[in-house]
Amino acid sequence: MGNSVTYIGEHAWAGELGHLLTILSFAGALLALVSYTLYTQTNEQGWRTVARAAFRVHSLAIIGIVVTLFTMLFNHWFAYDYVWKHSNTEMPLRYIASCFWEGQEGSFLLWTFWTMVLGNILIWKAKSWEGPVVAVFALVQVFLATMLLGIYVFDVRVGSSPFLLIRELPENLGLPWTNLPDYLTMIPQFKDGRGLNPLLQNYWMVIHPPTLFFGFASTFIPFAFAIAGLWTKRYKEWMEPALPYTFFGIAVLGTGILMGGAWAYEALSFGGFWAWDPVENASLVPWLTLVGTGHLLLINKRKDTSIFTAFFLALLTFLLVLYSSFLTRSGVLGDTSVHSFTGEGMLPGLLIFMLTFVMVAVAALNTDKGNRRFYVAISAVIFVLGIALQVYVPAILLFGAVSVSMAVTASRAGEFRRADEEELLSREFWLFIGSLVLLLSAMQIIFSTSMPVFNLLLAPFHTMFESLHDATGWGWAQDLAKAKLAPPVEAKAHYNKWQIPFAFIISMLVAIGQYLRYKKTDKKKFFRELRFSLIGAAAITALCVWWLEYKWVEVNLVALLFATSFAALANAFYIPMVLKGNLTKAGPAIAHTGFALVLLGALISTSRQHEISRNVKGPVLSYLNKDFNDSKEMLLYVGDTVPIGDYFVTYNGKRQDGVNLYYDMDYFAAEPRRFQAGDTVRVRSMLFRAKDDHTAGNIFLVDQPIHWEPLETFTRQELWYARNWSARLPGAKEFALEPLVQLNPRFGNVAEPSTKHWADHDLYTHVRYAKLDTAADGFMPARLYEKNVGDTIVTPTCVILIDSIRTVRDSVTLARLGPDFTVYILNMRVRDLYDDSRWFEAKPVVIYHDDQNVGSKGFDIPELNVKFDLATVKGDHVGLNVSEREFVIMQAIVFPGINILWIGCILMALGTFVAVRQRVRGKRKS
Amino acid sequence: MKRSHIIALVIIAVAIAALIGSLSDSSSYASLSEAFEQPGREFHVVGTLDRSQPIVYEPSVNSSLTKFSMVDLNGKKCNVNLAMAKPNDLERSERLVLIGQADADGNFHAKDMLLKCPSKYNEENKVTAGI
Repeated sequence: MGNSVTYIGEHAWAGELGHLLTILSFAGALLALVSYTLYTQTNEQGWRTVARAAFRVHSLAIIGIVVTLFTMLFNHWFAYDYVWKHSNTEMPLRYIASCFWEGQEGSFLLWTFWTMVLGNILIWKAKSWEGPVVAVFALVQVFLATMLLGIYVFDVRVGSSPFLLIRELPENLGLPWTNLPDYLTMIPQFKDGRGLNPLLQNYWMVIHPPTLFFGFASTFIPFAFAIAGLWTKRYKEWMEPALPYTFFGIAVLGTGILMGGAWAYEALSFGGFWAWDPVENASLVPWLTLVGTGHLLLINKRKDTSIFTAFFLALLTFLLVLYSSFLTRSGVLGDTSVHSFTGEGMLPGLLIFMLTFVMVAVAALNTDKGNRRFYVAISAVIFVLGIALQVYVPAILLFGAVSVSMAVTASRAGEFRRADEEELLSREFWLFIGSLVLLLSAMQIIFSTSMPVFNLLLAPFHTMFESLHDATGWGWAQDLAKAKLAPPVEAKAHYNKWQIPFAFIISMLVAIGQYLRYKKTDKKKFFRELRFSLIGAAAITALCVWWLEYKWVEVNLVALLFATSFAALANAFYIPMVLKGNLTKAGPAIAHTGFALVLLGALISTSRQHEISRNVKGPVLSYLNKDFNDSKEMLLYVGDTVPIGDYFVTYNGKRQDGVNLYYDMDYFAAEPRRFQAGDTVRVRSMLFRAKDDHTAGNIFLVDQPIHWEPLETFTRQELWYARNWSARLPGAKEFALEPLVQLNPRFGNVAEPSTKHWADHDLYTHVRYAKLDTAADGFMPARLYEKNVGDTIVTPTCVILIDSIRTVRDSVTLARLGPDFTVYILNMRVRDLYDDSRWFEAKPVVIYHDDQNVGSKGFDIPELNVKFDLATVKGDHVGLNVSEREFVIMQAIVFPGINILWIGCILMALGTFVAVRQRVRGKRKS
Repeated sequence: MKRSHIIALVIIAVAIAALIGSLSDSSSYASLSEAFEQPGREFHVVGTLDRSQPIVYEPSVNSSLTKFSMVDLNGKKCNVNLAMAKPNDLERSERLVLIGQADADGNFHAKDMLLKCPSKYNEENKVTAGI
């Protein structure tokens, strides 16, 4: 067979170019790695020239890959698997960028692109560090290029290429259609691609992933500098040049993570900005250790008290980025996360990538040459034996144990020995403590996120734990033997329980950190400067406790409230008090204020978020199970105006605009109801008469003794016509919201929220459930009940008694319709299922002509939101269509104080950039 | 004892406490029969929607209650009360993870559920038709 077929319309050159460029980028990175290594070892300028040229070729190749892939996406060349899977012709062109990084390959490409950009900046800026630092960059680029090559190493596929034609996919090889030259026009599936997941068709998804991956890529700079420092035995000097990049990374990664939060809040229907989802956690954890790294670099620049910890955190941060991408891309998270990738055979490649960098890091940490050689040798043996004997998990565990013990051994080396103990009241001491707390916090998060990984690691030891359990009867041994650990049921509660104390310590340190001096702090001055912030924080805390009604059991929240407001105030006051308003130096103070505000906003909005949509009808869910919550969502009939929180809401109906189905909701102010003396109201099945003119209070039981007298006797009719008591009535229209459902037959429909923003709170609403195929008359699809006269029908909302059928044969009807027609009227009594005093009558009509149903007149009961249509009458047997008025199920949540969080985000990013700029400028001057 | 040693000890103690605490908070995956052996204990149960039984969601009765039947990976069936509005793509789901507890009457009360849908991220590329 061979490649004799000439295919039509495939644009095969693009794929070939893409493959070629991928190989070129791999070769360029490899050559750069070798020549930069030789340059570092020999210091011969010639090697540097070669290395730079190689890295440049590598860079151009990556840019070429990016351009090629974009070209393929823009031109809709659906012969390519990546284009077919991630785009279609219908989607708006502005989301082509989202298609680019929706898949594994595209997001790797994004990552390698940013690392390449940073590598070039370092070639330009790093001076004497260029050799070792860019060599390490070239190493990571070699691995990232491998991920795009999609090559096979001993039967194991490593990575996957975005340039594969669908006919080249392993599962399609050899299928008959792949030999048709015109298969693209013959097979309808190739006409259009699968399209982009509607969740990602959002402007946040255009900017969030590139920012996040830029952040991930920038965590590599401190890693590369740390390796370079160890390699060239400049154990202290690497910190100075690494410092501005590290803080730059903190700003970019932090912004990227928070953009993810903003995306979740604005476009997803999770109901919040942070859910402690494994994928979110995986991006947060490296940020925490990166912040720790940055602050340790600050200390050690002044005084080498914690060199090893600085090395350790700088190396760990990037290893955690690799671990994160392993978690989210390999498919191990599977059942625990809603939005992780599903493997696609990436696991072996990712694992080798991660373990190699662990080995590089630990080997570099061992400054003793003998130890290093021993470690590398033993690791190599474990690798080879593990693969050869296919005992992967024990090999990984053994390698892990060896690596940890060698890292501990390395930490004892003389090079890292600290000079002397620092003062208790010194900045360096507390910065050090803060970094360790950040590390602990990161470890707790990653530990709880790693449950699925533990299951994999535990699996081979099944028999061991089983026999341990048999021998001892220990329950936990049996649990471990099962290897079925699942994430905590109450994920939010679990993480909050652990992270609130960590956040408290961090906030307190953020508050005092700026006022501590390096080496030694004047105690009196220290407390004098912090006085106002302390008083202010106490006042804010008291105000919040009173206003937001924090209880005693929430003492941890109150403590964090105090700590975060203390931190925000102390850093804000630092600018006028200590810096005398000099804003160029205020970067750290602004960033720390922002950080404290992020925590404060997150604390207030999540601890005091409340659902104002309440389900008031039907069985109480908490009777079914005590953990069930009755106030999650509410039902809105079209046209009804019902109270919601401090407002009234009316659902006006839906309208379609393109793929979006909008649900129009009007919100009205709630005004207190005025009653006049003599007004009669109904409360349950009792009647009350107003004694005087008054404005209703919130609770009838409070109003009743003062303003209302119960009526001892009343007729059924009076009860019937009396209005229910209610405290408030709708006033002027305040605003409108339009939660929407994006229709997407392939990926399933997706609800997008609509949020009203105020300065101090947000009202977040989204459609939880809606029938999309409602009839035009504003009613839901009918249900047919077939019964006999005398029967009772129980529908979800009402009880129907079928009393009788009347056949109309009066002269007027017969004269008008003719003698062949028969008119039937069904006499029914209808009762509200949840209120046995609300009775209605219904008389639907059907007209027959020669046993054929030729017309009917339905009967509408607006009070019960139902309509009855008589479908058939056969003797005593009737078919009755019951349809409910159109409704939608909506969830509405109030998030108080969420703007504090967004303001904090902006300040944090802004302050960090100011600080980085100041560092870069200050260095240039000196 | 030097201060650094005290710090190291405190850090190690907190780390161990955090690890054990996190482990004790963890739930576990279970089959339905395991869940019913210990009613009232929270489990993650993996399975699929039992398509032979109807999904009952009556929003006008209770907008936060969905009833359906599931089959776990061992093929055991059970009725589920899910305290959520019916997810739009429940019918098309290929895998469910229910988080909740069993009761003594043979029902599973789930307060949360993760859905995996075939096409969400990973629909395999199947272009075989047309020939």
